[in-house]
Amino acid sequence: MNARVKPRNILVDGLAQIGEAGLFLPTLLAAVPRSLRYFRETVRQIWFVGAMSLIIIMTSGLFVGMVLALQLYHVLAIFGGTASTGTVVALAVYRELGPVVTALLFAGRAGTSITAEIGLMRATDQLSAMEMMAVDPVAYVATPRFLAGVVAMPLLCCVFSAMAILGGHLVGVTWLGIDNGTFWSNMTSNVHVWKDVIDGVVWKSLAFGAVVSLISVHQGYTTPPTSEGVAYATTRTVVASSIAILALDFVLTAFMM
Amino acid sequence: MHRMVPCAAVHVAMLADPPLVGYRCSPMSETLSRTDPMPADDALVRVRGLTTRLGDRVVFDGLDLEIPRGKVTAIMGPSGTGKTTLLKHITGQMQADAGEVLVDGRDVARLSREGLFTLRERIGYLFQNSALLTDFDVYENVAFPLRQHTRLPEELIRNIVLTKLQAVGLRGAARLMPSELSGGMARRVALARAIVFDPMLILYDEPFVGLDPIALNQVLKLISTLNQTLGITSVLVAHELAAIQRVADRVILIANGKVVASGDPQHIAQDGSPWTRQFFGGEADGPVPFHYPADDYAVDLGLKEPA
Repeated sequence: MNARVKPRNILVDGLAQIGEAGLFLPTLLAAVPRSLRYFRETVRQIWFVGAMSLIIIMTSGLFVGMVLALQLYHVLAIFGGTASTGTVVALAVYRELGPVVTALLFAGRAGTSITAEIGLMRATDQLSAMEMMAVDPVAYVATPRFLAGVVAMPLLCCVFSAMAILGGHLVGVTWLGIDNGTFWSNMTSNVHVWKDVIDGVVWKSLAFGAVVSLISVHQGYTTPPTSEGVAYATTRTVVASSIAILALDFVLTAFMM
Repeated sequence: MHRMVPCAAVHVAMLADPPLVGYRCSPMSETLSRTDPMPADDALVRVRGLTTRLGDRVVFDGLDLEIPRGKVTAIMGPSGTGKTTLLKHITGQMQADAGEVLVDGRDVARLSREGLFTLRERIGYLFQNSALLTDFDVYENVAFPLRQHTRLPEELIRNIVLTKLQAVGLRGAARLMPSELSGGMARRVALARAIVFDPMLILYDEPFVGLDPIALNQVLKLISTLNQTLGITSVLVAHELAAIQRVADRVILIANGKVVASGDPQHIAQDGSPWTRQFFGGEADGPVPFHYPADDYAVDLGLKEPA
């Protein structure tokens, strides 16, 4: 189940990768009961992929919210609807931008580091050493990182969304002069918890977390044990994750509508 | 109620002040012997008719060999002849196309994953690049197998780890990270980790590569001491005949997928066969050709039409 360093054919290679990742998922899930022994490792990974990603997530969320409010304010002003700026910012963030941008950032920040770390462990025989010490590397290395990604993504998406709305408030209310009460009351009356927040922030994020973590772990675990192999696997994690996130977003949105 | 732990743990528990009680020596061989009698066999590892192909290349072609118990056996041979592959077969990391590998009487290929892991707990493996876990310091690297497979109290783990590090002369380096170790030190830490469970068999994959003469002598001394004091069966894959002659009881020369010579390391170089003459004489050409198999040179240069 080794990844190929040089793709022979993009379509064939891509399909082969999807198939391999799909086959790797049951292996990861089957190792969940065994990986519970390494609960502390899972917590450490949640801290690493979650807490360590907070700065980029918070900063990005703030600026996304700010620019969204700025753009929407001027567009809505044409129709005399600037009072709805907060509502539209919140809907865009909860439904789409929050989960999608968080997942894309997560793939770039945490996914690549997961792939590179596992890939280097492969290249330096650390995974083989674990096998030789009768320790299952899937349960000890791969599954905790997969679970950490699944758990961390919705939490990061919450933080991203909160920061985006704060950014929208800063621009809309503090800078452009929308009434503070109007901003919040319109938002709370038009944003629905189940339809907008739970569907986007929770379900989409969980799905994106699972997909990005699966791709990251699989790429690292199957990388050829060379520096070129690790570099290629890391790049492929970003590319494959980005495509998977955007494609899955369309599918999930279509089902949720 | 006694808890079954590795022998090393019991030795350390008895030395503790006050002595820790409630532990009973249970090397895996002892545990297994209650359900599966250990064969009274002088050979700890027996390879029969091993055939392995990697793509189009035949690595082993009906290989037969035996590794005697309690001895240091060196596996030698030209590069790419499958020495490391043989170690992978012995540890069940790789499946053969045909033949069998028996370790302590058990066919490795037929073991379940649990059975394989149980067997591996009794085998120490020294990787060529040491393969230390880079997130952990020296102490935690050596403690890793103990933490994974036992529920020993921290005090006992500490004592076992320090005992093993003392044995390899690196007790003072316990808190160094792998990145802070020289190649020789990393090799010795890996050795301490490999013997933490008092294995019946240690496999050394190119243990002398990249070591300066001091580090090489230290590793040689450790291999010899472990073999003589603990009676551990050792298998060395190496190219350095001078070093092998100092530590090995027997040399097996593999080439062309088969054993081409075996015997006493002091005399194997003089057996007169073309293989030993080329390998130990360091001749560039011979049974192992200088040129990698290729098409007609004149055809490649365009001087002749392909047949």
